[in-house]
Amino acid sequence: MAQMAGSDNESLLIEQSLSGDPEAYAALVIQHQTMIRAVAFRMTGSPDDAEELAQDAFLRAYRQLASFNSGSKFSTWLCQIAINLSLDWRRRESRRDGIHSKWAADVATDANKGAEFPDELSRRVQAALDRLPVKQRAAIVLTIYENQSHAEAAKTLGCTEATISWRVFAARRKLKRLLNDLSHEQS
Amino acid sequence: MNNPELESILKRARQPEIPEESLAMFPRRIVARLKSDDTSTRVTRNLVPRIAWAFGLVACVVIAFGIGRWHGRMETEKTLATDSLANLKLISETLAMFPNRVRAIVQDEHGLKLVLSDTDDVPASSPLYVRICDGKHCSSLVTFSGQEIQVAGQKITVLAGADGKIILTGDKFVWSNTERHLAGSRLKIEAKNLGPATM
Repeated sequence: MAQMAGSDNESLLIEQSLSGDPEAYAALVIQHQTMIRAVAFRMTGSPDDAEELAQDAFLRAYRQLASFNSGSKFSTWLCQIAINLSLDWRRRESRRDGIHSKWAADVATDANKGAEFPDELSRRVQAALDRLPVKQRAAIVLTIYENQSHAEAAKTLGCTEATISWRVFAARRKLKRLLNDLSHEQS
Repeated sequence: MNNPELESILKRARQPEIPEESLAMFPRRIVARLKSDDTSTRVTRNLVPRIAWAFGLVACVVIAFGIGRWHGRMETEKTLATDSLANLKLISETLAMFPNRVRAIVQDEHGLKLVLSDTDDVPASSPLYVRICDGKHCSSLVTFSGQEIQVAGQKITVLAGADGKIILTGDKFVWSNTERHLAGSRLKIEAKNLGPATM
């Protein structure tokens, strides 16, 4: 029932936003900002970049709000926008750092030095995620952190389920290698 | 390490805490950007038709100016021809001054020009008025049948028949006032017999 009420409230806020009420949209932002900023952080590895990316995602979502299908989940739709923006953002970044591509991984690792992680494991995991190719990282963020099925992730990223499965497989293989010692520490 | 172990490690990884202040400010920033985007979009929306109108207006003025100038030039040319060669009195007086020696009176962009024969060998006949335009310039002349005149950059022979037919032949064309399809160039020609009144 509470879920229903929340969903109704969200639909109302979307309607009000569509009729040009920015305060209604601000309420939607409050509801979803934690999730979108988390996705953005996993994709960028930097709190500052994550905030910028999340802002862009919410702005784009507002402009495309009329195309939102009320039959689907608003949070999933938002997440799709954020992930796709992050892919574009990464492409721009890699173009910018094109001549330094050899050191791109180090740059990405450096970026999260500005972040104050609560513990060493969290820092190591993010550093490992930063070293994944961006599409593999997106596949891991969606399937592990956003709990999407491979089919849902495929829809979000606009590719086939087989492609997602391959990216997840390749990402896991690399992450296992990068985080192997954490497993020993655990045991 | 197996998949569940990896997944467990990944899920245990936490993110840096977002300061309360940042969480509170974030929606405000979005709204501020939405409002500024809306304003700039509205300004752009208002500006675009205005710029289009301004360009349209300038284009209309330029076209009107161009047409005006072109029309003015045509009028001037027409007036020049009318003033000089359509002045039958002027033509008859000129012919009277040089009996049987006037081969043509030509008016072009350089002015009025009298083409005289060295001897009085031009046969007496009705003068013919011819106007030739090549798209850029127009030349008018009053001449007589059988004369070969340099006009519009080429030699033109003017012939008149007893039935009122006027034929012009040039280096690359043949024209007749009764069979205009004979014209073989882009020249625009008109010709008429001025009649015995000028004699």
